[in-house]
Amino acid sequence: MTTEMQQSEQVVSEKKKRRKIVSLDRRKARAGWFFILPFVIGFVIIYLPMMLESIQFSFSHLEIGSGTFTTTFVGFENYRKAFLEDPEYAQKLVSGLQRLAFDIPAIIIFSLFMAIMLNQKMVGRGVFRAIFFIPVILSTGIMESISAMDILNSYMEESGGIDDGSGTSAATQLVSSMDLERLFSNMKVGTEIVEYVTTAINNIYDIVNRSGVQMLIFLSGLQSISPAIYESCKIDGATAWETFWKITFPMITPMILVNAVYTVIDSFTSENNTVMAYISRIYSQAGGMELSAAMSWIYFMIVIAIVGVIAAVLSAFVFYQRKSD
Amino acid sequence: MNAQNTEKKPVVKRETKNRIRVDFDRSPLKDRLKARFLNFYFLSRIVIWIFRLVLMVGISYIVLYPFLTKIAGSVMAPEDFVDVTVRLIPKHFTLDIYRAIASELGYWTAFRNTFILSLLSAIIQTMICALIGYGFAKFKFKGRNIIFLLVILTMIIPHQTLRLSMYMEFRFFDVLGIVRLFKGGGIQFFGHNIKNLGAIAEQIDETTGEVIKEAKPGWFAGFFEKLDILKFTNPETGEKDNTLRLFKYYIERRGRLVPKYRMQFEFSEAGVNLTNTYIPMVLLSLGGLGFKNGLYIFLFRQFFRGIPDELEESAYIDGSGTFRTFVRIILPNSIPMLITVFLFSFCWQWTDEFYTNLFFPSDTVNMLVKLVGKIPNSLKTDYAGQELYYSAIRNTCGLMIIFPLVIIYAFLQRFLVQGIEQSGLAN
Repeated sequence: MTTEMQQSEQVVSEKKKRRKIVSLDRRKARAGWFFILPFVIGFVIIYLPMMLESIQFSFSHLEIGSGTFTTTFVGFENYRKAFLEDPEYAQKLVSGLQRLAFDIPAIIIFSLFMAIMLNQKMVGRGVFRAIFFIPVILSTGIMESISAMDILNSYMEESGGIDDGSGTSAATQLVSSMDLERLFSNMKVGTEIVEYVTTAINNIYDIVNRSGVQMLIFLSGLQSISPAIYESCKIDGATAWETFWKITFPMITPMILVNAVYTVIDSFTSENNTVMAYISRIYSQAGGMELSAAMSWIYFMIVIAIVGVIAAVLSAFVFYQRKSD
Repeated sequence: MNAQNTEKKPVVKRETKNRIRVDFDRSPLKDRLKARFLNFYFLSRIVIWIFRLVLMVGISYIVLYPFLTKIAGSVMAPEDFVDVTVRLIPKHFTLDIYRAIASELGYWTAFRNTFILSLLSAIIQTMICALIGYGFAKFKFKGRNIIFLLVILTMIIPHQTLRLSMYMEFRFFDVLGIVRLFKGGGIQFFGHNIKNLGAIAEQIDETTGEVIKEAKPGWFAGFFEKLDILKFTNPETGEKDNTLRLFKYYIERRGRLVPKYRMQFEFSEAGVNLTNTYIPMVLLSLGGLGFKNGLYIFLFRQFFRGIPDELEESAYIDGSGTFRTFVRIILPNSIPMLITVFLFSFCWQWTDEFYTNLFFPSDTVNMLVKLVGKIPNSLKTDYAGQELYYSAIRNTCGLMIIFPLVIIYAFLQRFLVQGIEQSGLAN
């Protein structure tokens, strides 16, 4: 009798407990929605209408009167214009994508290398870090376009006697004086790689400028690797080279994926990207608003396909330390 | 190691009861130094050290060189640009360009406007993105991944794509048709204009031309016409009109908050004109949709994932709610990250052209980025080195724009790395 009572009590209390757990989960879910609510509201009220409207504009002819605007549906007219009638768009698209293909590996390799450098203990690390992240803060937006228009910089570079040139030309000079090209060709690694390396060195300023955020992301990735792993490696007698390929590199692969995607996004939304600059120019022309909308949607579709491919390919190689929740 | 050392055994002497003294023959100093410094390990370390230092200094030089040329050009007099012997060091030192930009182009007004815009959006964006990032990092709920994909989508769609519709959105701002509703321009309800709900059409006797029944506006429209709250009297002319200096009105009622000269809304049938005000940027920031906000949300999400769950759980057990835990426990523990994101959003908003030019199309509102490309009247010349000189003026303008950022960066840069370092990016 008493045992039955106890059992039934137990059952009741278990039921209560279970109910409580469920409600806690639900409460946490509700709290999660509460935290992301600003984004959801903003997306639904502001962003989604803008997006849909932009798509609508790309399919229509637009007339802006004073205080109001009217749209008329014209089908794929703008898309047809962008591809077939516009003399430069397709060409710019191809060259822009080529550039993208060039930039991604260069920026990722450079930023990973620099992050590893900055992660080591050395004299003046704080100063170097401060200098390296200057472009992230200062060389954005308007400064980018000022630099693009800057003829003074190249003027100062011309060796008029006092100064022998900027970092860019100094690096080029260094390369040519070391005859790096001949060195590489002796190593029989193929002309494409040689060309790639020399172009990268010529564009070193651009690459340094654009790899700031990537460097930060890599740095944080490097910091999250537990020092205990390195210690045990050292005890087992692994060299620095082995440690890099067996420990650092696998642990950093998620960051490589993130950075690849970020680099694509960043370089194709940046203001000095040739395609984007061209679209902006079309936008400011008379009647070019719809056309520019169509052009940028085409561009967006292409780039999202690239991002998808990159994410799919790289995520096959990504090593996760623990299962994500 | 050394053969001599191992052969001779050290001599141990007992000095006192508890102390001993060990005497052994040390190899000569020369040998010891050789052993210490002339081995492969040490030499390779030296080589790596030098290589690293050269590389670091070289890249620092690449980063700093453009700023150096800009500074050099900014203090040169016009004649220095035609002088072949002058490159980086000016012969005629002058601050004319700085002076002219500050006095003739309205630098300080632009500075103040940009400062308000950047500060406002940076504060809101930091807070909102922290909130959203925390929601994604610490709570499991249905649809979380889909919403996060939407965040990534807002990051991927370039803002240039939305340029036109964004302009339209805020030029004719009308959330869910509310303005149109109050203005009586028609109430849209599933595509039907229901303004004339309950309206009675005029009925005319066709033979006599007599009006049998007078037309009446619908009760619905009449109700909203009474509620026509957006028609204020213009405080300057005393007339009722569509143009409303709402902000002046606001200041009279509520005290100073934002400079009053700029807030001027135009109402039209299509919506409110919000351009040339700070409101579009504030609205975008409130939704976590501002410039590069997707990145900030991502950074915060990674950062909060690195914070151990036990911290919050102990707070929950103590009876603290989720939001209070976030404000009281989580935020104080993530100050470096907050400062990092604040730094990013302030500086990027400060130098951003796109949103500034889009939302402030009128020349009446001066912004720092709009100064670039303008040539002060007193500096206009037409001599051989004109192009170079104008380029120098543009560069000086850029320097004056980023000058406040340099100061902020100098103070806050140590948080930049600290904040990023603390985010455990295991996933």
